[in-house]
Amino acid sequence: MSEIEKALAELKALMQYRADQLGQVEDFRGLGLTSRKNLCLHPSVKREKSGAVVDARCRSLTAGFVKEKKERGEDVDLCIYHDNLDLLEPHNLVPPGVFTLDGLLKYGEQHKQCPYFSARRMMPFCNVIIYSYHYLLDPKIAERVSKELSKDCIVVFDEAHNIDNVCIESLSIDLNDDILRKATRGADNLERKINEMRESDADKLQSEYAKLVEGLRDAEEARDENAFMANPALPDDLLQEAVPGNIRRAEHFIAFLKRFVEYVKMKIHVLVVSSQTPLRFLQECKESTFIEKKPLRFCAERLTSLVRTLELTNIEDYQSLQEVATFATLAATYDKGFLLILEPYESDTATVPNPILHFACLDAAIAIKPVFDRFSSVIITSGTISPLEMYPKMLGFNTVVQESYSMTLARRSFLPMIVTRGGDQSAISSGFKIRNEPGVVRNYGALLMEFSKITPDGIVVFFPSYLYMESIISMWQGMGILDEIWKFKLILVETPDSQETSLALETYRTACCNGRGAILLCVARGKVSEGIDFDHHYGRTVLCIGVPFQYTESRILKARLEFLRENYRIRENDFLSFDAMRHAAQCLGRVLRGKDDYGIMVLGDRRFLKKRNQLPKWINQAMTVAEENMSTDMAVTNAKKFLRAMAQPFGQKEQDGISTWSIQDLEKHVEKSQTDKIRELQNVQVNGNGDHAMGDGDGLTNGKGTEDNYDDDDDVDAIMRDMEA
Amino acid sequence: MSRVPGKKGPVPGRAGEDDDICPVCKSSRYLNQNMKFLINPECYHKMCESCVDRIFSSGPAPCPVAGCGRTLRKQRFRKQILQDIRIEREVDIRRRVNAVFNRRQEEFETLRDYNNYLEEVEILIFNLINKTDVEETEKKIAAYAADHRSTISRNKALAHEESINITAEAEAQREQARIRRAEDLQEEEDERREREEGKRALVERLANSKGNADAIVQEIERAQVKRSSAKGEKANLERRKENAMATQDPFGVTNGSAGAGFKIAGLKKVVEPEIEKDYDPYGGTALEHEYYVFQDQYEHSWLDKARTNPEITTGGYDVGEYCARAMFEAFAGLGCFIEDELGARNVAVDSGTATAAAAMAAGR
Repeated sequence: MSEIEKALAELKALMQYRADQLGQVEDFRGLGLTSRKNLCLHPSVKREKSGAVVDARCRSLTAGFVKEKKERGEDVDLCIYHDNLDLLEPHNLVPPGVFTLDGLLKYGEQHKQCPYFSARRMMPFCNVIIYSYHYLLDPKIAERVSKELSKDCIVVFDEAHNIDNVCIESLSIDLNDDILRKATRGADNLERKINEMRESDADKLQSEYAKLVEGLRDAEEARDENAFMANPALPDDLLQEAVPGNIRRAEHFIAFLKRFVEYVKMKIHVLVVSSQTPLRFLQECKESTFIEKKPLRFCAERLTSLVRTLELTNIEDYQSLQEVATFATLAATYDKGFLLILEPYESDTATVPNPILHFACLDAAIAIKPVFDRFSSVIITSGTISPLEMYPKMLGFNTVVQESYSMTLARRSFLPMIVTRGGDQSAISSGFKIRNEPGVVRNYGALLMEFSKITPDGIVVFFPSYLYMESIISMWQGMGILDEIWKFKLILVETPDSQETSLALETYRTACCNGRGAILLCVARGKVSEGIDFDHHYGRTVLCIGVPFQYTESRILKARLEFLRENYRIRENDFLSFDAMRHAAQCLGRVLRGKDDYGIMVLGDRRFLKKRNQLPKWINQAMTVAEENMSTDMAVTNAKKFLRAMAQPFGQKEQDGISTWSIQDLEKHVEKSQTDKIRELQNVQVNGNGDHAMGDGDGLTNGKGTEDNYDDDDDVDAIMRDMEA
Repeated sequence: MSRVPGKKGPVPGRAGEDDDICPVCKSSRYLNQNMKFLINPECYHKMCESCVDRIFSSGPAPCPVAGCGRTLRKQRFRKQILQDIRIEREVDIRRRVNAVFNRRQEEFETLRDYNNYLEEVEILIFNLINKTDVEETEKKIAAYAADHRSTISRNKALAHEESINITAEAEAQREQARIRRAEDLQEEEDERREREEGKRALVERLANSKGNADAIVQEIERAQVKRSSAKGEKANLERRKENAMATQDPFGVTNGSAGAGFKIAGLKKVVEPEIEKDYDPYGGTALEHEYYVFQDQYEHSWLDKARTNPEITTGGYDVGEYCARAMFEAFAGLGCFIEDELGARNVAVDSGTATAAAAMAAGR
């Protein structure tokens, strides 16, 4: 079940609860949006495996000009599910209520209407929309999907601890031989299509040409500053300007594209590692192929316009070309915050060249800026977003409210520990110098073995990288540690292959369910660490072996570090440590998924000791001083005690009033906070400051039920008025 | 046929050359690891280096590719830069045409005119590429080149200057970054040392004094925090100053040019800059004598003496100077009418007193 589905199900339950309590059903719509592949109902299209193919085939069945053709009496296929939407009222495609993705599919099947387009067209009429980041951050998609959202929308980025990476990825482009070859083929195809069209329907090309003389967008299409999403790939002034004369004619533009692709091909075949600023790249481009900066900037839009004019249905053939065009536009638009890095070999030891040209975005602020500019309220939140100060710095914004909350739990249901020494009291660390020393490896093995003895059910172990995991596992095998562990638990391993991994996960779950328990060895940045829950017996212990630093020899990372230092004054080590800790926290958070859940969290590295305060507040608070510097045997004793405590019966009753509230508790809380306010106000009055700046932020008490908070604030306002009078 | 990609050749210049066989001598990279392919922009037929040496060493010869037969010279053979030979040719044509048509956007009145110009040029290039109306196009280009020689050379110089500027700027930026990096490292090092020193000092204090240990720890920590924050502010200030300096970097190029002929519409009217006159210290007052003509020689007995007596001439005395002065003084009063000038002065004085009186009246 995806995160979106979970959130929608939760929303549905909440609305159901409200309806029960309030005695009336509110007029409320909540929808989720995901790719066409997940929401398709067309009998043949939905059987396609690749998302790109589904998109392309869907477009060929639903595009506007296809319908026009049909009306003209030509024999073309249409999607019945999509056509049925036109028969419905455009603002009422689905009834009010919350639909999970599954629910929407079912509804679509019953009413023979396309769930994807229902969701997309209903977006302006929804109270809550849940979709992936990319629909808002990726400039190529945001333009199409999210432009109808109004300015006063509240945007919430949940699980935003990785938001900077998402921003960067959405503007980064990798080009390799294959893409360039396909791009050339795409350009050839386009040329042929243009020639065909010139013979059959020259008027259309001429009208496109006439339009381009005026400007990229017609007056009716002109973007209103508030209504549209600014596209970071194309600044506003560019869209109002006319297309440069030398790419105005279709054939000229194709020649231009071909020349650019050839140039990039030449560039990529130089077998020397190099990095260049976009400015330098453009200059060289101009010198060797006479491609100026200005037409390059218009490349992406010009291509889109051409594809639209030619009424092409098989868009997937042109995807590579589109990618190259986007690259051209981005490279010509931004001279800061981007870097071109050419890597001719896959690894340092490889001898067969496989060149990749990375067009790396280094500045996360570029992609997210339009979101901040457009929406007045943006919330960035995550369970493991820490330290908070880093995010405003990296994303280039100022926070209005910045708060880190602790957790309210009825009992101490998780036990975070930092293990710095092994059983023999020597320090353990995954630092590069000592990571492969037999002593360290044996100590890590002993740590895992001890915990596999005492932990019931599942154990999840995170390593900093696949490479290290492989080497340490083979060494454990040699030392006979695996054989020892094998007596207690089943051992499963995550691999880069997602199918294998999901099989391992399934086996792991089965082993946990039938009572034997299992160990899952995985990687801190892999698929398991993001988005897979190990609730209850699926995860009782999480072991983080080593600090999950990034691979620091990566050229892209180096470039980014340098950029951060130069522009945001973030030191290399600060960033690396911040990044490692957020991933460590993410791994730790996998085991504790609810109020009745419990688990042990072990951080196995000497270096965690110093990084302790970079952990999220709720973990850091739960760690006592004694637990921040332990050896294996101490940790095991501690864990035993903890598990024994957890094994005591624990009913719903104990939680009441602490981690779950009844209506009485809530009323009591409101009363208490009101009296607090009154006292505070009186204090202010006594001090004679006359300072009434009681921030609304003070009203945020526990985030329990928004309405109660509002009442609270109203009361406070009333009190203030009384006092002033 | 056995083909071995030359991946370990001594010249790892390019990868992915599919056809590693010379079309002329049919030798492959398997036989000759260092094989290099050359082309001639006359006909763009590819052949290997040894073929070029063999065929063209003794002067111009026809292209060995069947059906071509153009006369080629060894001198003009060069390496192929782009993979696609057609694009290579296109780029060559562009190089030639762009050297002539190098107008800049600033020279046009409106963007539309500039775009139209770009399109015209593009059509010319396409004619050359597709070999339609080649002669006519060539004629046009030649005519334009002849007409606008000065503009072309000036724009060329400008473009060159611009590219140099960009390079220099990038270089300067890199240098600055390097310096900043060094500073940062130094700063970090200082901070580390300071922290260590602080720790040592703390231990010493704790060992030697008899006060409350917690209080001492707190005091020293506070002092450290204060110091580090002050330093951070200072660094920020410096950085801001630097940024401000970096932003004021004027990089504007303006130019104009005369232009008619080759149907380029919408060029800006160029105003010829006025030729600056030489500086005139007298502000236009002529030094011509109205009433007499100054002569080189005036006959007078004691002038002769001054002219010939070495006692006087060795000192550098010039009789001409004396004569000029004497003549000037003699005629200086002519043409001046004292009554008129007095009258004018009286008027001026009157108006002056009148304004003074008015001012006094207003003041009161």
